[in-house]
Amino acid sequence: MQKNKPGENESNFDPITFSVIKNGLDSIVDEVAYTVIRTARSEIVKDVMDYSAAICDRHGQMVAQAKTIALHLGAIPEAMAKVFEAYDKEEMNPGDAIILNDPYMGGMHLPDIFMFVPFFFEDQVEGFCVVICHHTDVGGRVAGSNASDSTEIFQEGIRIPPLKLFNAGKVNQTLESLIRLNVRVPDRVLGDLRAQYAACKVGVNELNKVFLQYGRLNMRSYFDQLLDYAEKLTRAQIKSWPKGKFTFQDFIDDDGISSDPIPINVEIEVLDDRLVVDYKGTASQVNAAINSTLSYTKSCTYLSVRCALEGDIPNNAGVFRCIDVIAPEGSLLNPDPPAAVAARALTGYRVFDAMLGALAKIVPSIIPAAGEGGNTVVCLSGARSDKSPFIIVDMICGAWGARPNGDGIEGITNASQNLSNTPVEVIELNHPVRIESYEFIPDSCGSGRWRGGLGIRRSYRVLADKAFLQLRSDRKKFLPYGLAGGSPAAGSKNYILSDQGLNEIDSKVTRWVKKDDLIIHEQPGGGGFGPPLSRSRALVERDLWEEKISPDFAKEHYGLSLE
Amino acid sequence: MENSKSKSDSKNLSSRNRVRIGCDVGGTFTDIVLQEEEGDLHVRKFSSTPSDPSRAIVFGIKTLINDLGLEPNQISEIVHGTTIASNVILEKKGALTGLITTDGFRDILEIGRIRTPTMFDLKWNKPLPLVQRRYRRGIKERIASDGSVVEPLSIESLRDTLSFFAREGVASIAVCFINSYKNPIHELAVKKYIEVEFPIFNVTASCDVLPEMKEYERLSTTVVNAYILPAMRSYLAKLQNDLADIGVGCPVQVVASNGGMMGVVAAAERPVYAVASGPAGGIIGAAKIASLIKRPDAIAFDMGGTTAKAAVIESGVPSVTNEYEFRDGISAPSRFVKGGGYVLKVPALDIAEVGAGGGSIASIDDGGLLQIGPESAGSLPGPACYELGNDRPTVTDANLVLGLLNPNSLAGGSLKLNFDAAVQAIQNSIGRPLGLSLLDAAHGIRHLANISMARAIRAVTVERGRDPRDMTLIAFGGGGPVHAVDVAKILGIKRVVIPAMAGVFASAGMLVADLEYDLVRAVNKRVDIITTKELFHLFASMKEEILVVLAADGYTTDNVEFRLKADLRFLGQSSELQVLFAPQELGPDLIPSLTANFLSLYERSFGYVTAEPIEFVNLRVTGVGQKDNRLNLERNKLNQEAREKSLQSLRDVSFNRGSPLQATKILKRFEVGSDLITGPVIIESYDTTVVVPYFSAIHSDNFGNLIMEIDNAEK
Repeated sequence: MQKNKPGENESNFDPITFSVIKNGLDSIVDEVAYTVIRTARSEIVKDVMDYSAAICDRHGQMVAQAKTIALHLGAIPEAMAKVFEAYDKEEMNPGDAIILNDPYMGGMHLPDIFMFVPFFFEDQVEGFCVVICHHTDVGGRVAGSNASDSTEIFQEGIRIPPLKLFNAGKVNQTLESLIRLNVRVPDRVLGDLRAQYAACKVGVNELNKVFLQYGRLNMRSYFDQLLDYAEKLTRAQIKSWPKGKFTFQDFIDDDGISSDPIPINVEIEVLDDRLVVDYKGTASQVNAAINSTLSYTKSCTYLSVRCALEGDIPNNAGVFRCIDVIAPEGSLLNPDPPAAVAARALTGYRVFDAMLGALAKIVPSIIPAAGEGGNTVVCLSGARSDKSPFIIVDMICGAWGARPNGDGIEGITNASQNLSNTPVEVIELNHPVRIESYEFIPDSCGSGRWRGGLGIRRSYRVLADKAFLQLRSDRKKFLPYGLAGGSPAAGSKNYILSDQGLNEIDSKVTRWVKKDDLIIHEQPGGGGFGPPLSRSRALVERDLWEEKISPDFAKEHYGLSLE
Repeated sequence: MENSKSKSDSKNLSSRNRVRIGCDVGGTFTDIVLQEEEGDLHVRKFSSTPSDPSRAIVFGIKTLINDLGLEPNQISEIVHGTTIASNVILEKKGALTGLITTDGFRDILEIGRIRTPTMFDLKWNKPLPLVQRRYRRGIKERIASDGSVVEPLSIESLRDTLSFFAREGVASIAVCFINSYKNPIHELAVKKYIEVEFPIFNVTASCDVLPEMKEYERLSTTVVNAYILPAMRSYLAKLQNDLADIGVGCPVQVVASNGGMMGVVAAAERPVYAVASGPAGGIIGAAKIASLIKRPDAIAFDMGGTTAKAAVIESGVPSVTNEYEFRDGISAPSRFVKGGGYVLKVPALDIAEVGAGGGSIASIDDGGLLQIGPESAGSLPGPACYELGNDRPTVTDANLVLGLLNPNSLAGGSLKLNFDAAVQAIQNSIGRPLGLSLLDAAHGIRHLANISMARAIRAVTVERGRDPRDMTLIAFGGGGPVHAVDVAKILGIKRVVIPAMAGVFASAGMLVADLEYDLVRAVNKRVDIITTKELFHLFASMKEEILVVLAADGYTTDNVEFRLKADLRFLGQSSELQVLFAPQELGPDLIPSLTANFLSLYERSFGYVTAEPIEFVNLRVTGVGQKDNRLNLERNKLNQEAREKSLQSLRDVSFNRGSPLQATKILKRFEVGSDLITGPVIIESYDTTVVVPYFSAIHSDNFGNLIMEIDNAEK
């Protein structure tokens, strides 16, 4: 192997070493991510896996990403910029950990705490390990800090600007005690922050070995090459796309406070080998917590484009270079402070759906019909019989829309995330609830030549005397769309079964429930692709045989009568 | 069916001699190793018979004992690694299986953990569930998380479901209820009801296979067991019958996924414990070697035609995992990428596998990046140099071009390699497009394969907080010894060991296995609350259950050893670390000592500890049935083949990128003695080739292993 000492010719590019370093970084960043799961405390991180990990170069450009939540990582550039505003590299030490969560200082919503640990090689910052975790609670007016009906960010929890949680390996007691006092479950939050730090240190140690082997200047050069490589692949594909402007409009049902529909308009302009994505015409910022900061809007945009690219393109800052994002100031997708943003994930999902809708006009052979429209969040909190507090933050996914060449998938994470689910037995052991169903809903798919995935039903029996329910769902009015003549899927539904009988409730709810109430959530399915009447009889019969659709559905959508 | 081989080891063994037979069924060859309990080892390769694997086994055994002049009744035991279970899953040829679960949860199997193993891939497809929705049925019953009965089992709903299954021709049934790990009463009632009222069904209850928390993992494991059970039962019955036909009536053992032996009765009840039977033999053999040569911390490295595998051995014991995903194709070395396969939560040797084998194809992607695999030419059509229809370059082609392999003597000369075809393939696909010379391109392919294999080793070492540089690399399989030295160098490993019989090492390895039976019970209590007394009672009941099972194979309290493991974690975490202990430690000092061991292991793995409470999650007990007839690598030596002629030849070899081809000495394996031979040299034997570059030196130890020392300071 060609080896160069630090200081030797840095333009000495070698394709073999390049592959070695690329694989090496992928493996390091996966190791970082794995350490988080192994050491985290809260279900939302260790079971649901709502966290992400990345490695940045010394300029803060992301060069490698673990197979975690894709949507987090496009937000790193903004966050990194704020970190650099707050701290010069001279003010950073080995063993530092800088955290932030403020959406107006580079964050996304307050529960997502970013951690940046600088990597030093021979006394100079050469990169950063980044871990972002969704924390169970960061204070604010509603347990879980995720309510969709807050009106100002001040109601949503503790805001952390870029600050050192660890200074040269020593914990910053001032900041730690401030966090401890401001969150409802401090052991979980601080335990998860520990997990983030442990994971970043694993990454830093491993980076050091790679730098020792190849030398500082070579590594800098290969980091640049990695970004260029991703950029080159991205530009090559965009170049082959049809030129012009492609638009799509999708809606969020409502913001949970007013019942007005909220439009998201996207226009993608394909120019030679780059894209301009413009959200003009999108709703103004709303008086509820579903506003999406510009960093998150960009993140969703990058990710949508990345899904339309074929092949194994590294998801790094090189891809981002090919995409310009324009979102009007004061809009839902670029709000002015102090707009509330806690439930911004919902808006991100709809940006993803709108982007895919427009991309379907550009690369129709790749893009599926709409999926379930994002995970539902069910947050139940209260006190156990021994007075100790409990908070369940449960996320329910999901279904993919039908693809141009095949059915959608049921029982799957939204494609813009990579979430998992909390085991029923883990929830029941730790919290006073009983899950009474977790199953597919037959007939909830959009029909088509290819059908969408089925939606999922999950229900919760309250076993505590009372509990506070905060539920965020959508796609009740604006259904997951079909493509190429496929039908939309069934929408979401929420019910409470109590001594008052079965009552349907809104898609966004913040209220008390009482012992023995059964909260039932039904997710939407995925949209269909192609005209339903062109679906093969064998496939319809298979769906019937599997009990994924009913005879009535087969008759209504496919004209199939069973004798 | 028999492969050409000298009959020189034919001789009449004393009729008093007892022999044991190890047998590894591979895709191409069925390797048989015969061990005289007090003497030599004999090795034979036979062509496999994939449509009925027992045919090659029975034919091979018959042929070998005839040649050696043995009587069938001299065989005391047959141990075999089988890919029956894994093939049934891969080929979806299991029984029509029905699932009975709690009402409201019939789709848990298909929902799984909802993650995808890839990102940004809208074309991804989920593996097909082994039980279709039609045959997944919820019935009325409910157990609470504390084990109390919320809703009693509805026999009416059960009967309706079973009648439906009977009408539809279901053959095997899996039963898994929510919270059954706390109270199995309903599962046991269903099982009993089926045995009495519907004896046509095979039945697997989750409490018998895996009484652990997390419904999906338990259910998936139970379903896989039910799915493969009929095939495993009929295979084992046929094998025993066919062996009886040639007069062999000895016990037949199956190598389990964890490297222990299972009796046929246990294997027929819990076949899910033997899904990864195939690769286990080589790894436990490597563990024995590690102990024997007093290098107890080692890495077993097995490279074949399509994949390479790595497993860690610590203190002479191979590392075991309690959960893995069985998937079609290659398991990523990453531990947290889920969703690509069938989850099996049973003990298995912790093996990382990557798609880098001799047949892995090298190509250039759209971005101009050289990559190896995951596509493989396998053994058919094989590398370009086989000239059997593949003209794309493989790892083997690169090795050939670099002079590392002998074009005339692979597999004892039965396979001839075409050097020019390899050159053409590399030039056309890699060299010219990337503007690299032939040697640079070949080194690039070889090096990327090495990196990929090093990644598998990192997955089981660095990712688990272990430093590979302190460990010995034990390399086997056809390709292991060809690549071991460079893989070791990438990782900073200083010593490589090539066992005798490296090419058929899996079947030799399984002869060292003891009979094992695993049980697990959920505890879920804080260590400061749990009493030694309740652990002792729990252990006593588990011990009794294990002894009943092992008695079937003739083991009693006298020759069964118990190994205990505590799954511990900080309260609130989801992942456990395991701490081992012995039955005699079940006293007042146990909890403090477990706590101390957990904290130090935790600090080693994650770099910090806290003062938070520790939870005792599960107690695991393994009963190990021991006998002194196991393969002893000190006592049992390979029966020397007829002395081959020394080659006395030179071949042009390039060991490193940038070094030109240089005339290099080629030795036969028997020419390597206890004196250190300094590289560069290539060592050839019937079953493999050992590459010894200039920065390494090699000698043979008393046990017939080759020991290679590497100078890592050398560039």
